[in-house]
Amino acid sequence: MAETLRRVLSSGSAAGTGEGNTTEVGPPLLLLGGPGSGKTALLFASALEAAGEGRGPVLFLTRRPLQSLPRGTRAPLEPLRLQKIRFQYPPSTRELLRFLCSAHEARGPVPSLLLLDGLEEYLAEDPGTQEAAYLAALLLDTAAHFSQVGPGGGCGLIVALQTQEGDSGDALQLALLQRYFPAQCWLQPDALGPGEHCLRACLEPGGRGPRAEWWVAFRPDGEMTITPCPHQPSDPSSDKGSSSGGQP
Amino acid sequence: MAAASRAISLATVVEELLSEMAAAVRDGSAKLKFVFGSSAVQALDLVDRQSITLISSPSGRRVYQVLGSSGKTYTCLASCHYCSCPAFAFSVLRKSDSLLVRQASAPWGSRVSGEPPALLGRLRCKHLLAVYLSQVTSTCQQLSVSDKQLTDILLTEKTHEA
Repeated sequence: MAETLRRVLSSGSAAGTGEGNTTEVGPPLLLLGGPGSGKTALLFASALEAAGEGRGPVLFLTRRPLQSLPRGTRAPLEPLRLQKIRFQYPPSTRELLRFLCSAHEARGPVPSLLLLDGLEEYLAEDPGTQEAAYLAALLLDTAAHFSQVGPGGGCGLIVALQTQEGDSGDALQLALLQRYFPAQCWLQPDALGPGEHCLRACLEPGGRGPRAEWWVAFRPDGEMTITPCPHQPSDPSSDKGSSSGGQP
Repeated sequence: MAAASRAISLATVVEELLSEMAAAVRDGSAKLKFVFGSSAVQALDLVDRQSITLISSPSGRRVYQVLGSSGKTYTCLASCHYCSCPAFAFSVLRKSDSLLVRQASAPWGSRVSGEPPALLGRLRCKHLLAVYLSQVTSTCQQLSVSDKQLTDILLTEKTHEA
């Protein structure tokens, strides 16, 4: 759901929902980064954003309950929004598969966003490529089904995958996943950004719209702030020199 | 929202490709095998033999099953590229599998020549090809099952070993 993530990341720009196509979900998105790079926080921010859109509930799948709700997201932690986020904790790959395969059996409002945190943990159980392909395909199929039977606007899909530095063994699996997810967002540490713990989020929207970059900074108390990077890769007039505090 | 779900695949390119294949078949053209490879001919054979079934349940969720030439049934997802057959697993394993369409000499090739190999390479699977062909030509059997039965079909999908 590249568009939702883009809206979350664009929090530094004009607020409000003035965009004409706020309900367009965009292609399924793979959120990639090392440990502690803010994937869960961004997933949760996307959940809050979608929950406020007045469409279906948000399904948040993760192996373990979140220890604490990430803070500093643009959308407020209103109880009404939180109520629309349904957490599920499939303890194993098998349970996750069962959940996805039976998703059409569920009654009640159709979700507008499907999120999965920690795909790498589920893949670790069954490292074969066919299993990985099957899981990825099922995730897409489930979101596609929700899009089909939902009231309109479609159901987005964002999946977070932890990557390891210099681990070429997973390169094949990653390439496979990238084939299924047209849009990707990479989170990498960036020493040039504001704040001590700062990451650069590079969003590749998969053919829809330009590639864009933001700085995601975490304060020691866990608060997250997002600012656009001063040099956007698609901006031909951007200066190649070092940044000099281009924050709004 | 069919458009959103189809956006994840190269729906437009695939449709063009398959329309061309269908046209080539109608022409009785020998180009078909040359350009698209033997998977295409096998896929057409599967379509001819009515081997593709679209299974749906009251929920609206759908899945395809293809009766392979060996008598085995393979499950293909309707919304993205996935087939439970060994050939698909093999093509998915390879990072840089060769194109389904031979780029250099495709006579009407420019539309397909620019595509990334990986995506088109997935179409090496004749079952998936057969599914897409049957979509384009609107020829497949239909089967209705219960929601629970559809869950079981999806769950047992991954048990087809090489």
